Formats: sequence, C-alpha cells, structure tokens
Amino acid sequence: MADDFDVEVISRDEDGRSARFLVRGLTPAMANGIRRAVVADVPTLSIDTVRFVENSSVMFDEMVALRLGLVPLTTPLDDFELGDTVTLALDVEGPATAYSGDLETSDSLVRPADENIPIIELKQGQRLEFEADAVLDTGKDHAKHQGGVAVGYRHLQRVEVLGDRDGFDEEEPHILRGVIETDEGELVHTEEFGADLTNRYPGKELAVTDVPDAFVFHVETDGSMDVDELVLRAVDSLRDRADELATKVAV
Amino acid sequence: MMIPVRCFTCGTVIGEHWEEFKARAKEGDEDPAKVLDELGVDRHCCRRMMVSHTDLVDVVSPYQ
Repeated sequence: MADDFDVEVISRDEDGRSARFLVRGLTPAMANGIRRAVVADVPTLSIDTVRFVENSSVMFDEMVALRLGLVPLTTPLDDFELGDTVTLALDVEGPATAYSGDLETSDSLVRPADENIPIIELKQGQRLEFEADAVLDTGKDHAKHQGGVAVGYRHLQRVEVLGDRDGFDEEEPHILRGVIETDEGELVHTEEFGADLTNRYPGKELAVTDVPDAFVFHVETDGSMDVDELVLRAVDSLRDRADELATKVAV
Repeated sequence: MMIPVRCFTCGTVIGEHWEEFKARAKEGDEDPAKVLDELGVDRHCCRRMMVSHTDLVDVVSPYQ
C-alpha cells in the first residue's frame, strides 16, 4: 500500500461547512472507512435530556425534546470528553416563537450553530420553559450526534479527447457527475458546465475512465465544527483504532 | 405542525431557512426554486421538505 496520500482541496465554503477534496493513493476500503468515521465516530454535543418546567404549547414534551435534540451545537472537542454534559435553558412566553437562538448555555463555547431554527410557535398565554442537558456522544449512538451530513465520495474520472466526432453522428448529451481530470491535468466539477460533457467538448470523441485509487470526497457538517476539524478527527479515530489493534495483536 | 429541524433524508439543518422561504415564496410572489437556490438548499431531498411543508400550529391551537 502506498505510504503517502496526496490530498488536494477542490472547493471549500467560506463558512467552513462544506468542502470537496481529492485524495490519491487510497484503497476503496480506506475511502469508505473515512466516510464512516466522519459519520459515526466523531462525537458532537446534542441535547439528550430535557426537564420541562412548563410546556403549554401545542406540542407534547417529547416532540419538543426531539426537535431540541436535532439542533446542532458548536462542539469544542478539545475541552470535552465522551459523556460530558453541558446545561442549556430556555424560557419564552407567547405570543412569540421560540428559536434555537433563545437557548442559554452554561458554557460560552457551546451554543446553537444555527440561531433561526423555530422550535415551537407559542400563542397568547402559552409558555415554554425547560432546562436541558447536552451530552457528547457519537453518531453510532444516535443520528443527532453525527457531525457530518451528506458525506460521500466518488472516483475521480479522467476525460480524454480521442479526436473529432464523426460529423454525421447526432450529438447526444453525455451526462457525467462528479469531478473530472482533463488532458491538461485540470480538476473540474461537472456542475461548472451543466454536467454535460458535450457542453465542454462539442464535436469531440471522448473516453471517460475512472482514475484508480483517486477519490473525490464531499463533506458537509451540521455546524458543530469545521469540515477540516471533522475530517481530521475522523482520520485520527481511524488511526487510534488501528494502533489499538496493533498493540492487542502484538501481545 | 412546525417545520422539521432537519431534512429527513440527509440530515442537513433546514429549519433555519423556513421563515425566509415562507416570507418570500409561500406568502410572497418569488419563484420558490430561485429562493431555495439562494438559500443554499440544493438537494432535492431538502427542497421537498420546504416545498411540501404546511404550518399547522394555527389550526391546532384552538383545541388545546
């Protein structure tokens, strides 16, 4: 197996919430291992227990608690260990809408990553007051703890121009998704030309092949941490488990 | 009832964009597709969450 991976960032959002990057020298098993680690092994904080003081809204306590669990919380992983908790509280009286941004936390580093998520709309005389515990756990335990959403990878595809197309053939759309490598070695996402190769190479005959051991990852986070941190933590967790296996087998 | 916090299929937070989408596309007269594009709701799984949602709090609240 190759010792060095070659990583190239193709695109990255300014807010650090999504990125697309190319890794060369990976086996398909490793690529899937990274994907699974991003989804299931990087822990995030999420509300787990809610103690209601008053809930006279139109939703049951359980329904409100489920919605609260899904609100992403920023997670400074250096300061927390698995199972640590942070207390949050909310007190809103109608007529008003309780938003995720109304949540008060006991730790200033932990706050809702998105502040405009409506929790519940309260009418005149209705009130929502509770205290909640957010716990640090992994996506294996509950999907609300997944830091990565919509994580996936595709083969890098090489598009070669073989020559001019036969002039009497009718040009049909050649739809291709993902990132292609051109003859000049340029990396282009097919969305840039409408996912149709005939837009980029009109009148050409093309050959499309998968580049061996090269994968283009697309990772998005729910806001609990940056994409960079999420992916690095995922890779660390893979390494830790490999080390653990090595030491246990060595005995 | 209320807009789901996350997309059922992919888990992206979509509740965040509901109020703007409602004001501009459901109650306003903008093209819903354009509003969703501007909000960054790209995937069709997330888009159906917004397009097919109806707020029911007003309907339910008299029957407390």
